[in-house]
Amino acid sequence: MHLAYLDAGSGSLIVQAVVGGVAGAAVAAKLYWRRLVDRFRRQPTDRG
Amino acid sequence: MTSSHLGTRADPGSFRDPTNRVFHDGDQVLRGLDPQAARDWAALAASAFFAGLLAEGKVCGTAQVDPAVLPGWTAVLRHERIPFVSHPYEWSFGMLRDAALLHLEILRRALPAGFSTKDGSAYNLQWRGATPIFIDIGSFTPLTDGEPWAGYRQFCQTLLYPLLLQAHLGLDFQPWLRSRVDGIEPDQMRRLFRGARRLLPGVPTHVHLHGAMQRRHAGASSADVRAQLRSAGYSRELALATVRGLERLIRRLDHREESSHWVDYQRTCSYTAPDRVEKERFVETAVQAAGGPRLVLDLGANDGRYARIAARHAAVVVAVEQDPAVVDTLYRTLRAEGDQRILPLVMDLADPSPGGGWGGVERAGFTTRARADVVLALAVVHHLAIGRNVPLGQVVDQLLGCLRPNGRLVVEFVHPEDPMARRLLANKPDGIFPEYRRDVFERLLAARCRVERQRELPSGTRTLYQVVVGD
Repeated sequence: MHLAYLDAGSGSLIVQAVVGGVAGAAVAAKLYWRRLVDRFRRQPTDRG
Repeated sequence: MTSSHLGTRADPGSFRDPTNRVFHDGDQVLRGLDPQAARDWAALAASAFFAGLLAEGKVCGTAQVDPAVLPGWTAVLRHERIPFVSHPYEWSFGMLRDAALLHLEILRRALPAGFSTKDGSAYNLQWRGATPIFIDIGSFTPLTDGEPWAGYRQFCQTLLYPLLLQAHLGLDFQPWLRSRVDGIEPDQMRRLFRGARRLLPGVPTHVHLHGAMQRRHAGASSADVRAQLRSAGYSRELALATVRGLERLIRRLDHREESSHWVDYQRTCSYTAPDRVEKERFVETAVQAAGGPRLVLDLGANDGRYARIAARHAAVVVAVEQDPAVVDTLYRTLRAEGDQRILPLVMDLADPSPGGGWGGVERAGFTTRARADVVLALAVVHHLAIGRNVPLGQVVDQLLGCLRPNGRLVVEFVHPEDPMARRLLANKPDGIFPEYRRDVFERLLAARCRVERQRELPSGTRTLYQVVVGD
């Protein structure tokens, strides 16, 4: 594993998926979908 | 990690990546590598794509040397010396564009071979004459599949955004880069591209979406985002598609000034043909007399006529001109010729590049870098002394300050009666420059250096001097 010396910026990483055409947009959509699902999964345990 | 070897000096601009660091030892440029960087270098040196870039001269010449020259480092590289280090805010639009395209080409060739670059800075590039070269060999790193380019943000801030500013809005980008070592932030760009400008090529994605994403994910750790992107299927092909998209965008960006005062200067200025012939002969003889100078500075180079004459006898000529449009025209001509000797730069002599970045020394100021064997100052003294009110003695000091010991200055004094001087004087109150006289100028020269040769041009309103400074 290489440690980057530069902070690439989280938003700057994600936007690269979006500008990568249809396939990139699909990756970005998948990423957001998973984040959304994770959030709903976490919520019940948070309350409990 | 540092090197305390006698005679070596750490480059003040090379500290951001602690795995490697550049040092100077006399004329040698060395790079110390830590164990990780040494492993990366071994992989890079064995790769075919890097050998190709080296052979084509697109990356700076690099060879591994005995690590004993830099104690404390695992491996040491020696790099080709860049004869005159310049900064992106001294480049013209065409120069910044070609530098950006070279950076992308290098990345496009590195990715399929399993390499990437750790950053995407305009400072990764330098010039061999009018030919760009990639110098940051320490930036190459084995690619971790599934990860976007870590240098994308830096590429936008120091290369893409300045190009968008100039191509879409017609704003000179140089002052923006000069005032911020890390370039222009997406949030600043978003404010400039509102309304219909949002739709200009490259702006919706690389500016607005990029800025919005940065805001939205400001709190997310980039390590988490990398892992999420990897598991969502981000691939090397996607990284390549992004690079190709950036290349297409930048090729479409163009900016050419229709005309500016200085673009037409050579055509409209008051030289007669005999004056020009005499002046060319004087300059050529002076550069020849310097015995194969390594560096000639042509200050106020205009269309590069005298820089070209100097380049017949010098290793490197740096042609400094304040009008970005004039520099861009000269650059495009030289680039088309494949020139490797004349470096055109944008700079106002009355406002030379200051030191910048950390401690004010990360990016060296112009006066620190200017140590020439020959300085040409043709038709510039009157612009500084009359046009910018700089005392004549200080003009002479500034010009001589750009020389090495025993260096030569070729300077033209435009007499107050000359039409060009009269035009400048007409814009100032009468009698404001009583000291702007040939006899005063000659006294100032004689007090500071030895006049080897002087010649009044046939028109009788301009005199050329060749002077040499002592140790």
